[in-house]
Amino acid sequence: MMTERFETGFHPFVLPFLAGMVFVLGVCALKAVRVVFELNKADRKKWLLSLLRPDLILKNILDIVLDCLIHVRLWKRNRVLGFMHSSIAFGWFMIILLGHLEVLMYCPERLSTFYYPIFFDFFIEGGQTAVISRLMDAFLLIIITGIIIAFIKRFWSRIVGMRRTARPSFLNLVGLYSLWAIFPLRLIAEQYARAGDLNAAPWWAYSTALCVFMTVLPFTRYLHIPSEMLLITMRNAGVEISSPHRGMARVQADSCPNCGVCIDACPMNADPANLRHSTVYLTRQLRRGNEARIREISNKCMLCGKCTSVCQVGVDGPRMRILARATEKYRINLHFAASDVDSSAIGESGGGKSKGALLYFSGCMSQLTPKIGRSVESILRKAAVDYEWMDRDGGLCCGRPLYTAGRLKEAAELIERNEELIIGSGAGTLLVSCPICYREFREKYRLHGIRIVHYADYFCELMDRGRIRLDKGDICYVYHDPCELGRGCGIYDTPRRLISKAAAIAEAPKSRVESVCCGGSLGSLSLDFEHREKITRASLENLYASRADAIATSCPLCLTTFSRYSDRPVKDLAQIVDEQIIL
Amino acid sequence: MTDFGFTLSCSSTLDLGKVDNDKFEELCRLEPGAGVCIGCGSCSAVCPSARLSGMSVRKVLLAVRRGRNVREMLQCCMLCGKCTIVCPRGINTRNLILSICKLYDD
Amino acid sequence: MNEIIVVIGGGIAGMEAVGTLLSLGHTPILIEAGPKLGGHVASWHKLFPDLSSAGELVSRLQEYMKGANIFLGTRVISLNRLADGYSLKLSNGMVINASAILLTTGFQLFDASRKEEYGYGVYDHVITNSDLEAWLAGRADARVPKNPEHIGFVHCVGSRDIKACNSQCSKVCCATAIKQAIEIKEKFPYARVYCFYMDLRLFGKKYEDFYVNAQRDYGIQFIRGRVSEVGETRDGALQIKAEDTLSGKPLKLRLDLLVLMSGIVRNDSIRELSLMAGLETDSDGFLRSVDNEYSVVESNRPGIFFAGACTGPKTVPETIAEARSAALSAHRYLQRTTIIR
Repeated sequence: MMTERFETGFHPFVLPFLAGMVFVLGVCALKAVRVVFELNKADRKKWLLSLLRPDLILKNILDIVLDCLIHVRLWKRNRVLGFMHSSIAFGWFMIILLGHLEVLMYCPERLSTFYYPIFFDFFIEGGQTAVISRLMDAFLLIIITGIIIAFIKRFWSRIVGMRRTARPSFLNLVGLYSLWAIFPLRLIAEQYARAGDLNAAPWWAYSTALCVFMTVLPFTRYLHIPSEMLLITMRNAGVEISSPHRGMARVQADSCPNCGVCIDACPMNADPANLRHSTVYLTRQLRRGNEARIREISNKCMLCGKCTSVCQVGVDGPRMRILARATEKYRINLHFAASDVDSSAIGESGGGKSKGALLYFSGCMSQLTPKIGRSVESILRKAAVDYEWMDRDGGLCCGRPLYTAGRLKEAAELIERNEELIIGSGAGTLLVSCPICYREFREKYRLHGIRIVHYADYFCELMDRGRIRLDKGDICYVYHDPCELGRGCGIYDTPRRLISKAAAIAEAPKSRVESVCCGGSLGSLSLDFEHREKITRASLENLYASRADAIATSCPLCLTTFSRYSDRPVKDLAQIVDEQIIL
Repeated sequence: MTDFGFTLSCSSTLDLGKVDNDKFEELCRLEPGAGVCIGCGSCSAVCPSARLSGMSVRKVLLAVRRGRNVREMLQCCMLCGKCTIVCPRGINTRNLILSICKLYDD
Repeated sequence: MNEIIVVIGGGIAGMEAVGTLLSLGHTPILIEAGPKLGGHVASWHKLFPDLSSAGELVSRLQEYMKGANIFLGTRVISLNRLADGYSLKLSNGMVINASAILLTTGFQLFDASRKEEYGYGVYDHVITNSDLEAWLAGRADARVPKNPEHIGFVHCVGSRDIKACNSQCSKVCCATAIKQAIEIKEKFPYARVYCFYMDLRLFGKKYEDFYVNAQRDYGIQFIRGRVSEVGETRDGALQIKAEDTLSGKPLKLRLDLLVLMSGIVRNDSIRELSLMAGLETDSDGFLRSVDNEYSVVESNRPGIFFAGACTGPKTVPETIAEARSAALSAHRYLQRTTIIR
């Protein structure tokens, strides 16, 4: 039998909770409005329209439940962490939901008070016998289990499989401890009330913990709770980061839960000096608006994209950094394309005029690794493909280095020049061996129907069509996925198919989407040579662990970088294929 | 003192003492490699821009050290990074170029 | 004097040391991993700056060390420290208790194929200094064309290059390049010979005369610019790119033969030996002497001495002098320990 304990249905201890609630809702609403206004016109329109589309509404709800409450992606990566987060998030959500249901069932007239579902046991007597109440107790216990794990993780992170976690700031610690306090305090307060003891002190403590948590929420990582929901709707609407600080970048920074998964993932952290350049600290500095640190972190990063691939909320660290680099003001600008340099000299060396032919672009780097170009040529000859080598004697840069350095306009100018050269050649297919160039061609070039293909894909096609046949050799290779080809373009399988036809193949512990950058990346602006060595050696250790005889890769930069320190042969994919072709 | 006519200021002479060294020291803070170039020319030899525009990182750095203008020489850099790969002293030439672009007006 | 001194490494340093020890009344044992004595020098043609025969030097040393115990094709499998010396187990099954050890393990040449941009092992007419030396000494090499018109030498391949994991100067390549340039010019008088250098380091006795000779009498051109790319033209000819830093222009040159002056790097095959003996490695990767001024031949372990290129690049006369010095140091060490006992 349920009865109200108080006619008024009020006690002053609810005031801290109410104040916190109003504050957090107000601040979050203001933040959301600001973000929406910061979007550029097209993105704003896109987002608003998406909120009206039934399919996207459904997808938004599904994603919010799966990502924000159940943390499916975290479960896949680390079960203990997954349980920890979903127990707290989903458990708390269920308690709030069931609390409201309880009020709706037994005293619907109190629903408008906001605080009844939170402090139900204090105001209503006899609630503990109901099924809902039992369910809520169960969820509360699950939450407390999660908090115990969180407590352990805070001091012994290796137990949950994390080598390093993000250093929390002071406010984050306040938020953390108040969050941990909420649930045990609730349990204690409820026990008092159920025993008929209406001592208000535990309820004051519970309400205060809630108040503290909600007050610091907008200034701590817990902002990710409301922010991620906004992020999901924006991502589903197809909004991309277009400003380094505002709009989508702000939502992503706010949505970072500081879980620290990106710290262990970051290849730069082979050198502990680089720990402070992880994406989790970029989002933190973006929130704080610390320009000097944002610049430092942005310039250091190799843009390998691994943090994004492991990120639970999908923070696009590389894109944020490129745009942050773009805000740098230089007194001298690098206007290659705007200068009066005559690039017709390029055409004289390559750019075949035969219509419909294959145009091969090897890229700048490949001139330092002559085996790649020679092997590609040899394979094409053996497969009787009619081709022209566009930059045999050197050409223009593809523009990606300028783009990643944040020189967006200058990169676009260079791209335009290259587009003219390539289209002018009359080729039907552009074959690219450098993954850096390939990604730029794919993402930024408009080549009016000219097919852009990476040589791994192309040679696989030649093999499938029987134009080349491979003899399986004895050497065992481990394939290193270059960042720009794997995470950048999603090409993981064709290189492996080719190698497995030409030789034995082994997998490194970390491969494909988890591949460790070789350390030679052009993405970093400020990482110096000495610091790169540690990264390269760590990446090699990962490859050695496969116990393969030799290392295979498909990027001239990875090839050069690994060759410096590797204790076993490093070969390019084209070289391996060429060596094993049966004539 | 008798003027023999040899004291005419000669504009083609480089007066090293008058070069703005503070700026170069600032550059060395941004890119410590700036001070260790041995002028081997590897950077210029591999530069894809060099054969079209005459771009040369070695010359740019030398010009900076001698207090001469570099704007024209630098403009044609495509930041492709080949120079960084071949530099035997391990200078981060891309960072060097960007740092020069940041610090120097001409 | 019946204490045993083991000399590890049968190059010119080991040979000279063994000869000296014999003359001091010791009975040294020489262990050489390879099939013959003489080390690198045995496969060379001539020595600078007097262009005397390398083979003659090796024969002279062989004469000097006549009567010594020599184990060819033998390696040290384990090395243990005893109270008054070292116990060595050899690959031929022998166990030797030595009172002193002299390491003359030498160097190895930088593997030029590690710098792929130079095209060693990729293009047909790219060879190294040791390939050329062997060719000059009479070994056939298909990579050396019949009538080359343009021949280029690249200095500092794998030396003074942080990207090749060796930032030190190899000391002898500049003089070697000049020597080989002169020799090849004598073989092909009509060829044009170019040396591409970063800095010419010709510090030794009469080296400067040698340099002038090369310029004046042989017309060898010295170009200040590091070659950093080797490619092929459309018609398959070898083409190098460098910057002619003195004229400030990018330079390209078609060549018929390219010679890479591979640098001197530490001998990786003695890694285990030095670990077993507890020897330290200096920051340049070579074995660490007690100091690099006064006690170059002494190691951090009592009774273990160094001579020659195991502590860094050395010229032939330096190596010989050091071997004598190390032999004397070992001799004095044994005298002292005998008196104490």
